[in-house]
Amino acid sequence: MPTYNVRVNGQRRAVDVDADTPLLWILRDSFGLTGTKYGCGIGVCGACTVHENGSAVRSCQIAIADATAKNYVTIEGLGAASMHPCQRAWLDEDVAQCGFCQPGMLMEAAALLHAHAKPNDAQIAEAMDAHVCRCGTYPRIVNAIRRASKA
Amino acid sequence: MTTTRRDFIRISLVGGGALLIAGGRVEAAPRGSWQPNAWIRIDPDGNVVVIIGKQEMGQGVRTSLAMIVAEELDLDWKTIRIEQASTGTLYTNLNTGGSGSIYRGWKTLRPAAATARDVLVRAAAKEWSVDRATLRTEDGFVIDARGRKRSYGSLAAIAATLEVPKEAPLKNAKDFRIIGRRIKRIDGPAIVTGAAKYGIDTRVPGMKVATVVRCPVPGGKLKSFDGAEARKVRGVRDVVAIPNAVAVIADNTWAALKAQSLVHVEWDHGPNHDFDSDRYIDSLLAAPGEGRVTRTEGDVNSAMSGAATKLRAQYVYPFYAHAPVETMNAIARFSGDSCEIWAPTQAPNRVQEDVAKHVGIPAARVHVHPTLIGGGFGRRLGADYAIEAVEVSKAAGGGPVQVVWSRTDDTRFGHLQHATVESMEGALDARGNVIAWSHAKVSNPIMSIFPPPGTDDPWTWIASGQVDIPYTIPAIRTSYVSVPSPVRYGPWRSVESPASVFGRECFFDELAHAAGRDPLQMRLDLLGGSQKVKVGPREIDRARLRRLLETVRDRSGWGKRTGQGVACNIYDGETYVAYVVEVTARGNEWHVDRVVCAVDCGPVINPTGVEQQIEGGIVWALTQLMTEI
Repeated sequence: MPTYNVRVNGQRRAVDVDADTPLLWILRDSFGLTGTKYGCGIGVCGACTVHENGSAVRSCQIAIADATAKNYVTIEGLGAASMHPCQRAWLDEDVAQCGFCQPGMLMEAAALLHAHAKPNDAQIAEAMDAHVCRCGTYPRIVNAIRRASKA
Repeated sequence: MTTTRRDFIRISLVGGGALLIAGGRVEAAPRGSWQPNAWIRIDPDGNVVVIIGKQEMGQGVRTSLAMIVAEELDLDWKTIRIEQASTGTLYTNLNTGGSGSIYRGWKTLRPAAATARDVLVRAAAKEWSVDRATLRTEDGFVIDARGRKRSYGSLAAIAATLEVPKEAPLKNAKDFRIIGRRIKRIDGPAIVTGAAKYGIDTRVPGMKVATVVRCPVPGGKLKSFDGAEARKVRGVRDVVAIPNAVAVIADNTWAALKAQSLVHVEWDHGPNHDFDSDRYIDSLLAAPGEGRVTRTEGDVNSAMSGAATKLRAQYVYPFYAHAPVETMNAIARFSGDSCEIWAPTQAPNRVQEDVAKHVGIPAARVHVHPTLIGGGFGRRLGADYAIEAVEVSKAAGGGPVQVVWSRTDDTRFGHLQHATVESMEGALDARGNVIAWSHAKVSNPIMSIFPPPGTDDPWTWIASGQVDIPYTIPAIRTSYVSVPSPVRYGPWRSVESPASVFGRECFFDELAHAAGRDPLQMRLDLLGGSQKVKVGPREIDRARLRRLLETVRDRSGWGKRTGQGVACNIYDGETYVAYVVEVTARGNEWHVDRVVCAVDCGPVINPTGVEQQIEGGIVWALTQLMTEI
């Protein structure tokens, strides 16, 4: 069986799994990083979003065989040293309700601010459009991203 | 509270009573702790712990219930600690639904905290040999007239020797320091750092993960299956039959999900093989008669026949899925004579009772650990997914198994909001007054997860929003026409109200339009009086609803633009709400520009929580209208 090396939150880790295993399940089941959520498994809900070399990607759509030689950051790594401005803004704006989709939302928002330090509302809407929140926190998410971009 | 990381770590450790799972039963309270009632415990280390008896699914109940206790017990919010209750002799109603946690918690938690405080004050009085009337409490301390302080923790041992009174004076609302404040959600830091553990994140030592292949048609039967191909997936341990389904038991979630699609099953689809939801809705539209009358006032038939104007309309409401982002899941460990379950459930006690009944052991031998819930909306009032996990544990030899539902499973095998037709008739006299109202709800009243309404039950619960129409109309009739369906059906956000209120409020507007009257003013005109009155089974105060309509009228600039609509409702006789919605139509598309909402839900514990709930409800409703109908 092949062993794959994957770099997550600054640590290189080895995992012995089939080549088609999605990164999502490596993170959750092999590494115990359950902050990255399963919502749909087909890349449409955004709950499993992580950073790949700084960009937001859906970890349920990345086979482990394609994940080597890249740097991944999960929600656990986002504010490991001190909370990311998005995480602080999320708390300040009282965004979360059930909270299940929020790690994915936060990873998308953090990647957006990395690419555009001062995103306009259209850019915010475009980035967050492919994320589902059934509790309906969308207006507060927009407010939190605006707040974080001013931090 | 401040939301520092330190706070978060502390909270997660303490709140982890149910979340940090060691695999054993939930421990009894630490030795030497004092627990005056089910909701408060003071540990020997001095910590005051608030025990939460309702399930957190985004409504902020772990925060707001703790606020009620902290207020009445005079705790320092910055040091608040909570624990989630699991089933046990003290906890027989952990079930959470129907929007009742706050108004019921308000009635039970305040006296619980006030009596505990009373004992602590008496304990200090005894310790200092002073008159208790000279003592006061603040931030977790009893303080005497000279300024001496004793922490609650240091008084717990003495308190434990004193009797807890049946009642004690409650605080005056003007003295509230915590209730009514904007308090940050206790779970907030854990949520934004990814540390919050939901059901699907729960791990029990030695746990396997399973998926289940179920019959695509309700009422169908398993004929045979071939698990050979599924067994070849690395990490799959077994592919086994459970009652009327096939379970794939694996070492990890991906293996279970991947192998699920490789199980070949032959089904007998049974009597519902050709059920079609469009045809079912057609049958609702064509259903004859008025059905079972649930409320009648005045003479509707004669008012209708003598009316100047009569209107009829039918409002079709389709089947809806709850679609919480966390799919159904549950861990079960079934030893044969006892059972332990970890699940994101709104109804721990229902799971306990239904599992006990299902496997034939006493309820006391079933222990349910509720977890955080990634979206409830009524779906998780059902015990089906926990019972299924027990079956899988049984088939796996009794060890702990987590059954995970794929997104497809969750949509296919949910308990939908049932389709209904709201069949309306109304009549106006020559001056445009509403003189008769008839509202027949045509649907299937039998929820899959609750016992059916009894013969003497006026079906009031299932007809919320219909039977309790708040308007003063001389002749009113509400009824329920039952058309059976095989569709799995359960409560949803606002339980049963959305379809009823949608039909009722839309039709009210039609009558106003026919009468040439302003729909908002016509509502005000039919909501006169200020005493509590009985409408159907509920007591309401029309003045409260009237004030909300006036508020949204004034705040929205009602009548100053086109595309405005109004609606209002009283939920369960408890929560009053009114909306003005502004819509712009562009060809066949429409855009919601603004929603102005006023809500009166009685005393507000945490304004932030109320706002979040109302915002979420608005988004939920618009999602229904814009993407699902």
